[in-house]
Amino acid sequence: MAEEAKKAKKELTVKKLREKGVKPREEVIEKSKEQRKIIKQITGCLESGPKTIPEIAAEVKMPVGIVTWYVMSMFKYGQVVPDEEVDGYYKYKLPVKKEESE
Amino acid sequence: MPEGYDALVVGGGIAGMEASLTLGDAGFDVLLVEKEPSIGGHMIQLSKVFPTTDCAGCITTPKMAATGKHPKIKLLTYSEVEGIEKTGKKFRVRILKKPRYVDENACIGCGRCEQACPVLIPKEWEYGLIGRKAAYIPFEMATPKKALIDLDNCIMCGRCERACPKEAINFLQEPEEIEVEVKAVIIATGYNLFSPEKKKEYGYTGNLTVIHTSANPNIIHGMQMERLLAPSRPYHALVRPGDGKVPERVAWVLCTGSRDKSVGNPLCSRVCCMYSIKQALLYSSAVPFGEAAIYYMDIRAFGKGFEEFYNMVRELGVEFIKGKVAKIESRNGNPVIIAENTETGEIMEEEYDMVVLAIGLLSNPEAVKALGVELDQYGFVAQPQENSNPAVTDKEGIFVAGTATCPKDIPDTVAEASAAAAQCIAYLEEVGS
Repeated sequence: MAEEAKKAKKELTVKKLREKGVKPREEVIEKSKEQRKIIKQITGCLESGPKTIPEIAAEVKMPVGIVTWYVMSMFKYGQVVPDEEVDGYYKYKLPVKKEESE
Repeated sequence: MPEGYDALVVGGGIAGMEASLTLGDAGFDVLLVEKEPSIGGHMIQLSKVFPTTDCAGCITTPKMAATGKHPKIKLLTYSEVEGIEKTGKKFRVRILKKPRYVDENACIGCGRCEQACPVLIPKEWEYGLIGRKAAYIPFEMATPKKALIDLDNCIMCGRCERACPKEAINFLQEPEEIEVEVKAVIIATGYNLFSPEKKKEYGYTGNLTVIHTSANPNIIHGMQMERLLAPSRPYHALVRPGDGKVPERVAWVLCTGSRDKSVGNPLCSRVCCMYSIKQALLYSSAVPFGEAAIYYMDIRAFGKGFEEFYNMVRELGVEFIKGKVAKIESRNGNPVIIAENTETGEIMEEEYDMVVLAIGLLSNPEAVKALGVELDQYGFVAQPQENSNPAVTDKEGIFVAGTATCPKDIPDTVAEASAAAAQCIAYLEEVGS
């Protein structure tokens, strides 16, 4: 009985909410997919080395303002780190993974 | 029987915290209701205060902690007063506590839900300069430091729930109606910021994730500049939002949305001159070879040490141009200010790396609607005895503090909050139990 109660407790409440008929908005799902694509593109672009935001924007073919927003958001969540400053622009790189740094 | 308190304080900014602490320290039971998920208000977002350039966060954070831990203060965040009714000597108050979809008692503020969430939304607390997740902690120093879920922008993938080590996420939470009884109320609902989109000729964009053809992300507003300059800033350095460049030439446009009948606000906001001068000083420290210019109609440096501060910044090399800005255009991503220098009559056209619109402070009438107090013609809480009893409203037992009555700076706000608390204490002692 206790095991069953524990199992029931572990069932995701988000699943129960879905079962109640509450669904995420379609535009939010689409936006999220687009965001993941952009983040993947930026991450892929930085695999070849540190770059400035205009350099990243040119490579991923996106408006530089939007790339700035994504790069700064990625910085806040530890997905990119700033590197040296060259002619007024910082370069950004991928963080060193823990196993690589050890 | 509803829970009872001596006083209800509405609003958890610097005025609300100060009033609550004064009441709590005097031994009164206080219920502090804040509509946002954390207390702290606007002040916790600021870089430094003028004219002392003391760190704003270093002043606000201890007040937040003291308020959050005070044995006589109960915090109700993410909650709003829905209605108030006076019965005898007491007020019966209806409060709506919005669902966080997180059990506040179980959440330890570890942020794992936020890391796991795949959705990015412009972060309100950073005025859209960066993104936040749909599962998030409002900001690093949030009080209480508890996560919440923005269900409207959630894809309901369940990653946050799986990542939570305390099983605190609960998507089945419902809004909660709470009824309390209080003897007195202090309104500390603060101000709204002017929306610079209304000045179309200045080309401000509200959403940095979408580039409008007519707008330039290097035109920002004063609170965004505060965030860029704050120690808890969203970026790693002072760079512009349009392309990450260190801005070498920055201009401030004063009176954006203040003293401007064309946008419906004839009032002076009283802080824009000084916060812009302070920002120009902080910018000059961050970018020592940068050029700073301030476009103004009049410099209103009326407080203690303000004139000296203004003169000091002027002597340090910040350029002050007396002129009304007519338009801000864009050239190669740079904002171009078109203005008339009213001292020389010259029409100027100057290109900058970044322009800061010194937006003004407006009333916040929506926040006090449920309290039923009288407002003045500008939507601020009316003070029927402004000269003799400034904290008194038209309703007996309801007091007011801070920018809920008009724009004002931090020292005046704090002084008024203490005054409101003192008047509230006198009232509580008079009405007794």
